[in-house]
Amino acid sequence: MNGTPRILNRVLIGVLGFKLLAIGALLILLASVPAVGVWWQSWSAGVLSTWRDLLERTRFPGRAESWLWIVVVLVLLLVIGAMVAWVAQQGKGRVNLLVSEEDPGGVPGNVRIGSGVAEQALRAALADRQDLAGATVATYEFRGEPGLRIRIQPRQGVAPHRLAADVSALVEALDSALGKRTPVLIHIASGARSRFGRAERVR
Amino acid sequence: MRHNTEHDSSHGSYAPPVPGAAPSVGGAVPAVAGMEEILKRETHSSRAVASIIAAILVAALCGYALLETAVRAVGQPPWLVDPQTAAEQVVALPDGVPPLLLGALGAVVVMAGLFFFLNAVLPGRRARHVLQDRRAAVVVDDEVIASALARRARVAANVSQDQVMVTVSRQQVQVSVRPTSGVPLRPEAVLAAVQDELRDMALSPTPEARINVASTGVVGA
Repeated sequence: MNGTPRILNRVLIGVLGFKLLAIGALLILLASVPAVGVWWQSWSAGVLSTWRDLLERTRFPGRAESWLWIVVVLVLLLVIGAMVAWVAQQGKGRVNLLVSEEDPGGVPGNVRIGSGVAEQALRAALADRQDLAGATVATYEFRGEPGLRIRIQPRQGVAPHRLAADVSALVEALDSALGKRTPVLIHIASGARSRFGRAERVR
Repeated sequence: MRHNTEHDSSHGSYAPPVPGAAPSVGGAVPAVAGMEEILKRETHSSRAVASIIAAILVAALCGYALLETAVRAVGQPPWLVDPQTAAEQVVALPDGVPPLLLGALGAVVVMAGLFFFLNAVLPGRRARHVLQDRRAAVVVDDEVIASALARRARVAANVSQDQVMVTVSRQQVQVSVRPTSGVPLRPEAVLAAVQDELRDMALSPTPEARINVASTGVVGA
């Protein structure tokens, strides 16, 4: 439930993949079919000569270099910056506040509850369970609203629906303590700790 | 992976295991808005890894081009290859490079392109199922489901832990049991136990259970 831009990811990866496919196919055709080589040489020579003309016409007055090179440098810097921004979008959305609302009572001011309250309460409630190999709780912003993400790693053989019902009861208790229902995601996961740890024997 | 089979879902038989708190909202749909979207996001890949690889690839290419262009712009000798020379070599392409090398290079680029393109086009489902719950959105890794079903099947078949293997996919649960040599095993009973556990879980989509009993037994288990 993090803020990874999924559609953007799909579109950008798709465009890059399609371009790489086209370039690779062209390289293979150039290596294997002679006729493609003839076409490629005439076509790309035309493209190159137009670029040369452009570079000739955009010279600094009195110098041999074209100012188009500076433009190219700026465009490349822009693309690199966009790529860094794209990477920074992945998995974002952690927030520090679980509740931030105006108090309807007589006292002026806001009520703010930090996400640590819910995280530590749930983690403490799950800590001494024998059938869990680990539990992590984090707060993410989903559509402008904070929500809890509870990730549980049960030991081998633990029935997931009973575990989910237990955790869900804990969440309902938390709801009544906080006075607000936030979106909650429970992810019952398997990991190295549950795979190689000992199985739960008694329950 | 099969997508076209629609199963008659058995969600109606789901009983909330915690007594006392009666579910007021319609069935198992959680009351908080946006829950379905959260579940959809959690059961599908975000393609973050492929995105990061693609971004690093493009940024590295641009970084190299930037270096050569900047060197050219200030009038210094090129680092590896001058942009103009590189362009001329690309124009003359089938000549100047051995065709085997060119073809191999093309094959590598096609492979990389296929990786990214398929990542973008395929649905990207994760090996997870959705559990019904009154309050929260619950997703379970298929491995956890398999391990719970294996435990139930092992108890029902009265065999040891490594004689049972359970594979869970989106629409199917495959239970493989190797019986202990000389001890009879009733596949129907094991299958019924697994189906019972599956019904309790109320997964969506509901997988169909199948059992496969090996013809050879395990000695001394």
